[in-house]
Amino acid sequence: MFKLSEYSFLAGVITVALAFGCYLLAFMSVAVTRRRSSFAGAGAGGGNISIGAEAGGTGLGTYGTLFTYLALTFLTAALIFRALATGHGPFANMYEFSIAFAWGTLAMFAYFEHRYHQRVLGLIALPIALALLLYATTVPAQFDPLVPALQNNLLLSVHVAVAIVAYGTFAVAFAAAVLYLLQTDAGRRGLPRRELLDEISYKAVMIGFPFLTLTIVLGAVWANVAWGRYWGWDPKETASLVTWLIYGAYLHARVVRGWRGERAAYLLLLGFTAVLFTYFGNLFFGGLHSYSGLNGN
Amino acid sequence: MTETTRSTNLSQPIDDLDGAVVSPSDIGERLWRFFISMRTGLALILALVVLGLIGTLLVQAPVGLQADAQAYAAWIDSVRPKYGGWTGAFDMLGLFSVFNSIWFRGITVLLMTSVLACSVNRAPHLWKQATKPRTRMSDAFFDHAPLALATTTAARPEAAAEAVAATLRGRRFRTLVEGAGDTINVYADKNRWGPFGTVVAHLSLVVILTGALIGTAFGFRNEGLAVAVGSTADVGNETGLTVEARRFVDSYYPNGSPSDYASDLIVYRDGREVGAATVRVNEPMTVDGVTFYQSFFGPAASIRITGQDGDVVFDQGVPLQFGYGDGSRVAGQIVLADAGLTAYVVAPASGEVDPAIRPGQVQFEVYETATMADPVAVQTLSQGQAADVAGLDVTFVREHQYTGLIVARDPGAPFIWLGCFLLIAGTAVVFFFPSRRVWALVRPDRAGTSTVQVAAIVRHDVGFGAEFERMGEEIRVTIKSPPADEGKGTV
Ligand code: HEM
Repeated sequence: MFKLSEYSFLAGVITVALAFGCYLLAFMSVAVTRRRSSFAGAGAGGGNISIGAEAGGTGLGTYGTLFTYLALTFLTAALIFRALATGHGPFANMYEFSIAFAWGTLAMFAYFEHRYHQRVLGLIALPIALALLLYATTVPAQFDPLVPALQNNLLLSVHVAVAIVAYGTFAVAFAAAVLYLLQTDAGRRGLPRRELLDEISYKAVMIGFPFLTLTIVLGAVWANVAWGRYWGWDPKETASLVTWLIYGAYLHARVVRGWRGERAAYLLLLGFTAVLFTYFGNLFFGGLHSYSGLNGN
Repeated sequence: MTETTRSTNLSQPIDDLDGAVVSPSDIGERLWRFFISMRTGLALILALVVLGLIGTLLVQAPVGLQADAQAYAAWIDSVRPKYGGWTGAFDMLGLFSVFNSIWFRGITVLLMTSVLACSVNRAPHLWKQATKPRTRMSDAFFDHAPLALATTTAARPEAAAEAVAATLRGRRFRTLVEGAGDTINVYADKNRWGPFGTVVAHLSLVVILTGALIGTAFGFRNEGLAVAVGSTADVGNETGLTVEARRFVDSYYPNGSPSDYASDLIVYRDGREVGAATVRVNEPMTVDGVTFYQSFFGPAASIRITGQDGDVVFDQGVPLQFGYGDGSRVAGQIVLADAGLTAYVVAPASGEVDPAIRPGQVQFEVYETATMADPVAVQTLSQGQAADVAGLDVTFVREHQYTGLIVARDPGAPFIWLGCFLLIAGTAVVFFFPSRRVWALVRPDRAGTSTVQVAAIVRHDVGFGAEFERMGEEIRVTIKSPPADEGKGTV
């Protein structure tokens, strides 16, 4: 099972890289075609562009999407095999959680790509997934038995499952926000219209925000069961609250004059930074979530 | 609006002297406007973000440390090397315990006020929208609404309106059709209670905060109740409970990491058993609202003390739960109230080799409780041997373990969980059941055909735009071929 999991993981890394490569090439070839055609005077067109659709018949974009689905399948397999081998969900160490986070990013990207046909989001979402997977290759993959505090398989598995959906949607929202900031109101450079990018971000946060809320609540339930308190301001808890507040601020900023648009997009960049900070926080702040188990006297 | 006019009138100067005075209602009005402003709400949320960041980036003093001025000063000194000249300023601003600071409390109170004000402000409007929606809109609305379409049909107005309504019902809208002469208004909505999700989400925050306040005011939490195996300890905090540890087991995996900590506990009230369970990490036990959690463990010493008259004055396991001296020793405390004495049972910390206290021994130190100055007597006791220490007959019966429990009662917790549930339910309703409203106006035109206008407001939702377009197409198709019998138009 371990071997199967590792092989699926490696296959996942490779296919994510391939998917990204395809999108990148497709995007570049679209850009080149576009420049040529605009040279020739054939309108540059405010780009509501799906890569591949007009990429000079290369179909690279389509391959990118296929590789994305394939990668998703491999990572799903990796997570399932590992869960079968360890007997618990992917919450015990950074290796497991990084794969899960990458899975969430891919899955949410695939969902939004399917829904909005904006493969260009992949140019940002896929590198995030790839970076997480590459990070996973650098941390120990070994499986240690669970210390008592983590022996709450059901609660923690749901906690993590909900968290990766939230994080995945925030990665998509981040990708759309970056494109939003690269795009202009007039709509140039072959990027999707700003309105559409704004909508994608918002839709992503609409899913992500309730899921993040649920993540935090489940974390509080766990803390209450294990330590008799639902909230203790440990750095990981605080960081997740900050993340939640930033996305809460975003939801309101979107309907406040002077904040909608670019400032709201910056809030999404800040929000995803907070997600990463919360996620990697384990590495530099201690606290109960450092998985030290029982912090006995 | 009338409110505004009235207060303006009130603040009209009556004579010149009154000119500079701002009337109370004017201030009230301003405050109200301040609190219902989304800009205010946004600023307050962002202010909490800043405080939260400070709380994660700056080392925070352990909770409750400030109560002990000396310990707190020592703690400040321990972080001084890290923050240098800033330490004093940070301390003064309360940044080492941000979540207890005036800033945090103040902003939380302002935010809650704002959340309440927003809800109070919006709820009547939402209620009206859901129960008595405005079914007719002006011509200008149909001409200028963000989403609008117009088409003509050969069908009579009633038939056309019914076709429009049927299409909308097919898309799971609720429809209200109102005719006035030949002009027919169709109003349709979906998830009309959805917007109350925001009200629920906002109020849930107040519920959560209430829970937190109730917990602080009426609950307690003892993080360090050590109970030696075979002994009992008072829970205190006016619970009237005592807890006995029958057994404690710590188990390990082959690689040495812990696999399980389990305590068999029995809880008594007035000497009567009221609860018993094996408590593990993640498996607490609750008795009469008081919850017992497995938290830590350590060594204990069973001590028996007999007074001069031969009465047994103490016979219990003593948890050696305090670090002692430079930390290479651990100690437990015995208070002999009648004798006015306090004794410490001292042993080497686990893994330490102590030349003065060998394995199988403890050191027994007796102090006057009143002064706690130099010890009255210090003696090393070997297991199983009675010794005379300061006139007491003391026996170190045996070594044991103690189990360390967290004991807590939190009457606010139900509010917390209720609030969390409402928060999730509220946001989920807003986002997954978005409210939609569509208006249609059907009227006959000169050519003997009917004009159909359909319009909707988009609230920052492009997705509905696409749905509206599909709906428009559907309406165009349906009204071209309305059901024949209705087409004859019996009014
Ligand atoms: C941490 C605190 C807060 C949370 C978690 C929160 C949560 C939410 C959520 C989830 C929504 C739905 C957003 C949407 O439809 O896109 C919302 C909307 C809203 N919030 Fe808050 N809120 C908070 C604070 C506030 C405050 C302080 C105010 C008042 C100043 C406020 C006023 C509103 C209003 C008026 C709406 C409706 C916006 C619209 O028209 O779509 N909120 N809030």
